[in-house]
Amino acid sequence: MGIARLTARSSLGAALVLVGVAVLALGVVELALVLETPVGPPAALALFVVVAWVYAGAGLLAWWRRPRNRFGAVLLLGAFAWLAADLANVPNRVLIAVGTVLATAPLAVVIHLLLAFPSGRLLTPASRVVVAAAYVVALVLQAPLYLFTGAPAPFDLLVVADRPDLAATGARVQQAAGGVVLLATAGILVARLRRATPAQRRVLAPLAAYGTLAVPSLSVIANWIAPAYGLRPETVALVQLTVLAGIPVAFTLGVLRGGFTRTKEIEELAEWLGASGGARLSLSDALARTLGDDSLQLVFRAHDRYVAADGVPVELPEPGSGRRAVEIELAGRRVGAIVYDATLIADAELVRTAGRVVAIAVDRERLTAELRASQDALRLSRARIVEAGDRERRRIARDLHDGLQVRLVLLAMDAQQVAEGPGAPAGTREAAVALRVGIDAAAAELRRLVHAVMPAALIERGLAAATEDLVDRMPVPTRLDLGAIDDRLAPAVESTAYFVVAEGLTNALKHARARHLLVRLASTDGRLVVEVHDDGVGGASASGSGLHGVADRVDTLGGRLQVRSAVGGGTVLVAELPCAS
Amino acid sequence: MRIVIGEDEALLRQGLAHVLEHAGHDVVGTAADAAELVRQTEERDPDLVVTDIRMPPTHTDEGLVAALQIHRTRPRIAIVVLSQHVQRGYAVELLAERPSGIGYLLKQRIADIPTFCADLDRVRAGGTVLDPEVVALMLARARRDDDALDRLTARQLEVLALMAEGRSNASIARRLSITEKAVVGHASHIYDELGLPPSEDDHRRVRAVLRYLSR
Repeated sequence: MGIARLTARSSLGAALVLVGVAVLALGVVELALVLETPVGPPAALALFVVVAWVYAGAGLLAWWRRPRNRFGAVLLLGAFAWLAADLANVPNRVLIAVGTVLATAPLAVVIHLLLAFPSGRLLTPASRVVVAAAYVVALVLQAPLYLFTGAPAPFDLLVVADRPDLAATGARVQQAAGGVVLLATAGILVARLRRATPAQRRVLAPLAAYGTLAVPSLSVIANWIAPAYGLRPETVALVQLTVLAGIPVAFTLGVLRGGFTRTKEIEELAEWLGASGGARLSLSDALARTLGDDSLQLVFRAHDRYVAADGVPVELPEPGSGRRAVEIELAGRRVGAIVYDATLIADAELVRTAGRVVAIAVDRERLTAELRASQDALRLSRARIVEAGDRERRRIARDLHDGLQVRLVLLAMDAQQVAEGPGAPAGTREAAVALRVGIDAAAAELRRLVHAVMPAALIERGLAAATEDLVDRMPVPTRLDLGAIDDRLAPAVESTAYFVVAEGLTNALKHARARHLLVRLASTDGRLVVEVHDDGVGGASASGSGLHGVADRVDTLGGRLQVRSAVGGGTVLVAELPCAS
Repeated sequence: MRIVIGEDEALLRQGLAHVLEHAGHDVVGTAADAAELVRQTEERDPDLVVTDIRMPPTHTDEGLVAALQIHRTRPRIAIVVLSQHVQRGYAVELLAERPSGIGYLLKQRIADIPTFCADLDRVRAGGTVLDPEVVALMLARARRDDDALDRLTARQLEVLALMAEGRSNASIARRLSITEKAVVGHASHIYDELGLPPSEDDHRRVRAVLRYLSR
């Protein structure tokens, strides 16, 4: 996913560079043509191209930094409109005609920019109508001016008649329509300002004022200010163009740093939250894309500190380090934080908004991670319990061996010595022998008990010998298939495997009425596989009470216990235990 | 006879030494671990070694390993190994390395002093002595897998078990309260059924029976 994103990003970059080079080249060519035979003040003529470049630069920057935002595209449209308008100054009849037709298009683009701010899209029908009207005023209502105003060659291509009266009427109509469009625009902007948050209003209000006033200011400058101060035509043109060149710069700054809730991006983020499946980005990647910062990092709150997705603790950045962090809260609890590059994203409020949108998802990821961690802890603690149980069994077996069994041998020896004592009456003799035999029987009982607790064969000789011993004691023919077994198995693995075999054999005898049995032991690829096959009545299930205990043990070691037992088809008990050393 | 004892439990070591001394034997050395046992045996050159299988430091089968080492360096010395419990595996292992002058008994058998002393004498004389419990295990396993044994009568199976324990005809007769002649009759019938070569020599007879049971 990351690679695909990078590719998309770099191909966008390449395309934008191409567009930039094209605009630059077009401008250079146009500049050369215009200045070859200037039809007005050269500085003013050159400024058209410079304004186009400013539009293009601002548009490309906005497009690059906000690939999902269309505002850059509208700015580029403005750049082309300015280049086109300047064609009227090129000494070529056709190009002059094109330039004449498109002369006021840049003003329509300003209206477009005003209403499309900050997403680059016209989101309401009213704004779409007003922008369409603006283009009509600029492109269609301009027509009487060039059709009915007589002009010398090479400016005469479009002139159909020299009718100054019609031209004047047309100009009035255009001005009136333009005024209506401007008023409508102002109305929409005012309505929008009223809905905006105070923070947004601080940016939106000056921009709207600047954009709305820039257009009428052109004629104000030309018709009132210039005569009043006796400005030269070059100066008037310079002031007008500078006013218009400031528009893309101001709007781009507004888009990039203005602190607007980018509805579109946040919507995409919300969409992402509902998506599922393989194409889904990680939460952190989705945030990085939405906010336009590849270095963005999402961290989670766990045990009163922040950890990365992989569980490694992280410190939030120090103030002034260039990186900044916004904490994500859910129902008053801190659940995580977004760490981002403050030079790429100037507006913390936007990050905070994105954080609010993803808070539940962050909490879910955090809980998942916590759950995984506690599951691991639980498994480890179960393993410790099993191991402790085994250790306890071994200790009990050893204590019985070293203590009680030895005592019984000594007691029996004493009894026998009494029986053999010189001069002991016959009755005493017999009673003492009977006592010795009784003690021997008790010792035999104890041996069986110790064997059940933890067979000596397992402690002394390991799994293979202990399994052999089990098989030896089976009353029905039992084959032992002993594969290669790691002779340094962990004690818990050994005893678990042993208890699986013992339980399997016991069940086969007790419930399956089996006549032949097979026990198989082998370790391959770090797994010990234990199998007990019988040819009994089948129909056994893993939930049998005896199997429950061993199944738990197997599970605790991260292994698997399976029972395959069709009715009448015998039973196969298979345990797989991880035993990698 | 001169005996070295290997047993890590001090009380049992002393009790055993006492019993053997009392029976007229000469306990020339006692050891609490396997290394000490081997050293004592090298030094004293006894007629017989009695040792526990489980000994320090690991408490697994050091005693057995030491016994087999003694067998290899000094085959003349008779060996009796004792254990808290018996396993067929140990018996098979011992008999494979050392078919005669060997005994394998439960520790509890020490208490029956006369029988225990008689067993030591037989091992000293080159015989083989196996604990009844391990013989029962071998016999049960053999019967499970071999139909020939099913053709024997209950009494004949009893005789076979005692033969496998390493007992003489006289001893078997006494145990079963029958005449020695009857024992000989049962024995020859067992030989026929199992296809064993007839032998008058007790030691060789035990080995043949055990080989048969260990198949």
